[in-house]
Amino acid sequence: MASIVATSLPMQAAAARERNEARTALLFALPAIILIVLFIIVPIVAVVVLGFTDFQLGDKSLRFVAFENYAHLLRDRAFVKSLWNTATYTAIVAPVSIALGLGVALLIESEGIGRSFFRTAYFLPVASLIVAMATVWQYLFHPTIGPINALLGEIGVHGPNWLGSSATALYSLSIIGVWQSVGFNMVLFLAGLTAIPRELYAAAEVDGAKSAWDRFWLVTWPMLGPTTLFVTTISIINAVKVFDTVKALTDGGPNHASEVLLFTIYQEGFVYLRVGYASAMTTVFLAILVVLTFLQYRVQDRQVHYT
Amino acid sequence: MKHITQILAAAAISMVVTVPAYAETTLTVHYPMPGFFKNVMDTISKKFMEENPDIKIQFAAPSATYEEGIQTILRQAGTSEMPDVTFIGLNRLRMIDERNVAVDLGPLVKKEGNMAEKGFSDTILKLAQVKGKQVGLAFATSNPIMYYNADLVKAAGGNPDNPPKTWDEVITLAGKIKALGNGVDGMDFRWQGDDWMFSALLFGAGGKMLNDDESKVAFNGPEGQKAVELIQRFVKEGGMPVFTKAAGEQAFAAGKVGFEFQTTGALVNTIKNVGTKFDLRTAKLPLIDPVNGRLPTGGNAVVILTHDPVKEEAAWKFAKFAAGPYGASVVVPGTGYVPNNELAAKSAEYLGDFYKKNPLFQAGLSQMSIMVPWYAFPGANGVKVTQTIVDNLSRIVDGSAAPKEALEDAASDVEGLLPRS
Amino acid sequence: MTSTGFTPGRILRLSLLIIGSLIFLAPYIFIISTAGKAQDDIFTSALKLIPTHFYYVENIAKALSKVSMGTLLFNGVLVCGLIFFFQVLIAIPCAYAMAKLKFPAARMMMVLVMLGLLVPIHATALPLYVGFNSLSLLNSYTALVAPFSISVFAIFMFLQFFRSMPDDLIHAARLDGMSEIGIVARVIVPNAWPAVTAFAIFSVVAHWNDLYWPLIVITKQEYFTPPLGLMYFRAAEAGDDYGALMAATLIITLPLVAAFLLAQKRFVEGITMTGLKG
Repeated sequence: MASIVATSLPMQAAAARERNEARTALLFALPAIILIVLFIIVPIVAVVVLGFTDFQLGDKSLRFVAFENYAHLLRDRAFVKSLWNTATYTAIVAPVSIALGLGVALLIESEGIGRSFFRTAYFLPVASLIVAMATVWQYLFHPTIGPINALLGEIGVHGPNWLGSSATALYSLSIIGVWQSVGFNMVLFLAGLTAIPRELYAAAEVDGAKSAWDRFWLVTWPMLGPTTLFVTTISIINAVKVFDTVKALTDGGPNHASEVLLFTIYQEGFVYLRVGYASAMTTVFLAILVVLTFLQYRVQDRQVHYT
Repeated sequence: MKHITQILAAAAISMVVTVPAYAETTLTVHYPMPGFFKNVMDTISKKFMEENPDIKIQFAAPSATYEEGIQTILRQAGTSEMPDVTFIGLNRLRMIDERNVAVDLGPLVKKEGNMAEKGFSDTILKLAQVKGKQVGLAFATSNPIMYYNADLVKAAGGNPDNPPKTWDEVITLAGKIKALGNGVDGMDFRWQGDDWMFSALLFGAGGKMLNDDESKVAFNGPEGQKAVELIQRFVKEGGMPVFTKAAGEQAFAAGKVGFEFQTTGALVNTIKNVGTKFDLRTAKLPLIDPVNGRLPTGGNAVVILTHDPVKEEAAWKFAKFAAGPYGASVVVPGTGYVPNNELAAKSAEYLGDFYKKNPLFQAGLSQMSIMVPWYAFPGANGVKVTQTIVDNLSRIVDGSAAPKEALEDAASDVEGLLPRS
Repeated sequence: MTSTGFTPGRILRLSLLIIGSLIFLAPYIFIISTAGKAQDDIFTSALKLIPTHFYYVENIAKALSKVSMGTLLFNGVLVCGLIFFFQVLIAIPCAYAMAKLKFPAARMMMVLVMLGLLVPIHATALPLYVGFNSLSLLNSYTALVAPFSISVFAIFMFLQFFRSMPDDLIHAARLDGMSEIGIVARVIVPNAWPAVTAFAIFSVVAHWNDLYWPLIVITKQEYFTPPLGLMYFRAAEAGDDYGALMAATLIITLPLVAAFLLAQKRFVEGITMTGLKG
């Protein structure tokens, strides 16, 4: 009898502690949970429901049309083009801005002078209002009086009609997208780099890692694991969510050549006022994002180790 | 959480405090395109408040374009945020009427009795009517004109004092200007953005957008064909590049384009952007059919949204004032729009002298007699319809579709968007 | 890792950084150049960086007179400050719970967080607008701040940061008898400094520049945030007054640059304060 009591007491205490811990954890997370439900879950549900109606902005009533909106989506050429454009844009902007962000962070971190200046220089694009930057970029990209084509002309290259031609519009927007995101990723990588304990580098050198490349591969890259995961997730999501540049510079044109998902949704919902249809599109958009992120997270999470 | 209640309390208090102590009617006014209407609105409202001390005008956040303006109004319709007065693009009046948001000004006009004496002739009243119903009062009206760079015209062998009168003449001269080289382009036609300039060609040929009972598309008839073939000739013979709207304006202001075809509303800004770089001139827009051709009316109208009787009366006073001769005398020199008020145009007290002293503004004025309303497509898809037309025009301009093909595609797409009766 | 003296490797590094900076700063060079030009000086066929006549005073005066800059900047600071405060207040305990405490709903929480990350404000704007309107909370600081008080980005960021924090510090504090809240306040927060600073940069930048949501909920001028003020300079039909627009942009971007420069220093200080660098 006594031995059972003796062993069950510590277990009870452990169980009590665990319950306590769980309760505290829940309490800590409660405000966040409430707000997420209020500001994210409930609106999403509202959007999904609206996707089953034909609601137009300004209407006094609405009608349930079940899956009619979704059927129409499949046949909508503009929507399919949007999907394709968004995929292309993401495929360019995400990897390039991650790589450049890491590169710049590494360069700055290993360089002694001018750190403040360089950090600010690369971060400035992130801090700027796209509505205002748009006018500058539109001028820089001007086919006949713009500086970029003027400079290209100096070296004998005939610059393309960056924003006006359907062949190059999306790529021009991608350039701006990279320009805007590198600083963001750089700051994140800098934070990650400074968190790597210096002893590890000393230990690596003892183990025979002589060149900078070895040090990077053996210590920096693995230790940056969590940061890289974070940066990749954020970069992909932000790329898919692109809207401001398209709205300010090309309005999706010419002829849908640079139209992206969020822009199409905005057009349908707020310009054509077909909120029901736009909500159906939004639901599809969210579904795609969920799947994408889930896959990407699963793949990378396995490869990351935490201390 | 404590902070939120504090903020809520502060907000509530501030809202109470802003209610004036004495009985004064406050009108909330919303308008689009603050870039150049802000000064105009400020001037008009200041004079109005001087003459009507018991009415206060305050401005809500303006919208960047007509489209954003109407979105904002429709979103706010029926809520406490809805402004009392707004200014809506002439081709979107139909949309606002179909949703029964605006106050019918018909009875107010009738009660007034002598609108014509104040300069509101029937023609002008018609501009802001939808199927005979007075939805608003035309505030700023424009028509498309021809801007040209006299220096480039001269260099290409033309005579700037005798500008081209037909499209053929324009194209020939533009082609010669393009041949001057040095990064110069022959012409720029504002086909982007909406269907307004396309309708300038279409109506200029005597054509119509839809048939009379609005069930079928009519812009793919012979007049429409002539219009799109003309656009292709602009590109192939006239040296028109694939410009975005902004790029075109900037290139013209830089002196790199011979002819520019767009609204007279852009006149004041063009003058400012050009400065002394070259000799800027304006002229009438050539018509495909000089006898039957008409031109669309751009611009916006003042619309009353509030149904509260006290505010409505104050709003009517403001609407008449803004759309009246004083308002026109402020709008015209400030922007380049043509007077929507006959009294303003003629009497020396308002604009009589102005036109004598500013010849560039005369082009728009001289076309007033052939202005017809900007066509508004019926049904809920009006905005999408205009976008479809623009998309198909862009295929002609960048050469990815033949004019006939693009026109037919536009016609079938638009027919799919018309309401099924 | 910093070398003294200019080795070829170092020269290469510096050159890359400098060239890169020039490319990234190019648009700003144009903004500064255009802010000083009169309207007819801006679109010329030849490339001119230096204005023909220095128009800075006029353009800045125009920028200041068209909108009440003081109100704009005040609102920007107030709104961003409040948003940041609430975001951190709510995110830190939540991220701590997910990273360090045993928590049955942790998986579900993670899903919620990921979901939140994916949902852009453009998608939820309409229902939120209707909600705020029915509570008569439009045109208020509440409407501007509340939807953003939950930042799943913050939770995600702090979560990653806390996960890589060694457990020993926390065990030590527990052994000392500290309550969980005490641990959060006295152990976690001081050590989370770099993450908080980095997040501050993102939060302030994102919300200072947010146009979309304020555009929807604010129509009264006294609540205008900086981007709404910039709207005054846009005129779709007749072209923009670029000179004044650029001057206004400068005025609005400058506080952010200053803030970032300040935050940078704290960032470095924060690193040396923690025991993490070793």
